[in-house]
Amino acid sequence: MRQTMPVRLGPAEDTLIAQLTSVGASAEADRMTVAGLPTRRVESYHYTDLKTLLKTVPPLATPANQASAPALRVAGAYQLMIANGVVQGASTAPAGVIVGKSAGGVLTSRDDVLVHLNGALAREALTLTLESSVDPVIQIDRRCEGDAAHVADAVKIFVADNGSAVILETFSGSDAAHVGNHATYLALGKNAVVTHITVDLSAKASSHFASNEYSLAEGAKLRTVTIHAGAGLSRSQVFARFVGAGAHADFTGLNLVADGQHNDITIDIRHGVAHTTSQEMYKQIARGRSKAVFQGKIVVERDAQKTDAKMMMQGLMLSDEAEILSKPELEIYADDVVCGHGSTCGELDEDSMFYLMSRGIPKAEAETMLVRGFIAEVLDPIEDEALNEALNGIVDGWLLGK
Amino acid sequence: MTTPILEIRNLHARIEEREILKGVNLIIPPGEVHAVMGRNGSGKSTLSYVLAGKEDYEITEGEVLLDGENLLEMDPAERAAAGLFLAFQYPIEIPGVATMTFLKAAINAQRKARGEGELSTPDFMRAVKTAGTELNVDTDMLKRPLNVGFSGGEKKRAEVLQMALLQPKMCILDETDSGLDIDALQVVSKGVNALRAANRSMLVITHYQRLLNHIVPDVVHVFSDGRIVESGDKDLALQLEAKGYADFDGAAA
Repeated sequence: MRQTMPVRLGPAEDTLIAQLTSVGASAEADRMTVAGLPTRRVESYHYTDLKTLLKTVPPLATPANQASAPALRVAGAYQLMIANGVVQGASTAPAGVIVGKSAGGVLTSRDDVLVHLNGALAREALTLTLESSVDPVIQIDRRCEGDAAHVADAVKIFVADNGSAVILETFSGSDAAHVGNHATYLALGKNAVVTHITVDLSAKASSHFASNEYSLAEGAKLRTVTIHAGAGLSRSQVFARFVGAGAHADFTGLNLVADGQHNDITIDIRHGVAHTTSQEMYKQIARGRSKAVFQGKIVVERDAQKTDAKMMMQGLMLSDEAEILSKPELEIYADDVVCGHGSTCGELDEDSMFYLMSRGIPKAEAETMLVRGFIAEVLDPIEDEALNEALNGIVDGWLLGK
Repeated sequence: MTTPILEIRNLHARIEEREILKGVNLIIPPGEVHAVMGRNGSGKSTLSYVLAGKEDYEITEGEVLLDGENLLEMDPAERAAAGLFLAFQYPIEIPGVATMTFLKAAINAQRKARGEGELSTPDFMRAVKTAGTELNVDTDMLKRPLNVGFSGGEKKRAEVLQMALLQPKMCILDETDSGLDIDALQVVSKGVNALRAANRSMLVITHYQRLLNHIVPDVVHVFSDGRIVESGDKDLALQLEAKGYADFDGAAA
């Protein structure tokens, strides 16, 4: 007989259990009852103790009556919207794009509370099938609108063999204490080339959780950019699996963390077959009393010979009270691989500041220039000019304290 | 009497507990080029950093006037806008900031501080092109990140290019000859000489006389143990080169 030690449940967990029960997800409700939200004792949540950080959960979202202004406009982009979990009607899709809807739950199952909750609570998923090369940037505008709500939504994207696309997902909404739990599944066919950018611009009062899962077939090329510049509490998870030889991915991100915020980017990259490569480059900038977390895990499976993976985290502290945490992990089961990781953290370089100021550039402007320089590596590869400018604008806005 | 461009009176400065400048007195009238020579560690570079406003140093005594204005009350950016320019011995490499972007930001920041309008892009490009041609600085170099991967010669040419664009009243050249071969030295010196003007003064810091064959000073000062111990005309530099510093500061070379 197995004895279960019941955990003490808080108001957030009580609400989650009631919500899961109300949608008929009894197994998930039971799991929450037994385990509760993860604490620092759970390795993958060690730096983001949800039991402490997520104090309350608002009611499940109802369809939105109105939408706030778009958080980010990119000239020429094809716009799609999901508001409070409901896929909105869209204008005529550009050539090569098939837009549809399916029942919710897009991620493959894994032992992760955010994945479980999204699977149980997302009612429908926006589906995109990209049959060829798509010219305009595809923007999926994901909103939490109205009064504070617990929103679960989902997107599933298939990119056909030899297809290509630039996909931007923005997360925003009304200025309330929402909890957003978002899932995206993106499968790249053979030799598909995709850039996938996710930008959290939601209100500071809200909590933003996003899980992005990727599957890369033979010869596929993927670039991901995860940007946090919004919610007070956030965690973006990147789960990727290489399933075809010759595939390459650049996983990148900017974790911009302002006073009072706790933002976490956690990646789990699995090289499952031989001859695949990845480069991970994450930059974290923290100011005020704040916490930035990066957890980077690369797994090289037994058959994944000739894997080449390099991971880098660079942190920039703009205040003495900021905290930047970085946990790289390599798990290698093959014996003929090149894998490496590095992590650096520092303040703005004094000599560089002095040099810029000695040319007449005032302090605040010099700081902005250096921060822009620091993140250039992440944003420079975005070739679409309007998109690149929009992303730089987000960083500039963040620096100005917006 | 005309106001000197630079006037340093009894300047004392220290870094942590160590006093490095021990009472510097120096007056540079408009249009003059003064050289400061001294052995390594005598405090020459500290003088240039203190004048430009580097934070590491604490000024314990004395004052510095730039064209009559109290320099020590200004931050480095304000000093630059007031007309001070330091050509660095080791220009700082700044990845991610394109040289062109930096030049434009610097010029416009100074114009703004002086209440002038921003330079239009065509005017800016024209100014850069003109200044660049004389210093063999092409636009490809300006597209690269600031000083990153520049050779020693390229870095120094970029410094002089900045000086030419910013048109300062007072130029301080800190060991501008270090890291330069003879050809590069000639290009850089030619660039500096082209900037000599009746309303602009220069302070050339070096420990070799050779630079002063190219940039001929009006006055030479010998710097030792944190102060100026001897001043003379350009022949003083030749005497130094022949005899070493020992005759001037009493210590063994």
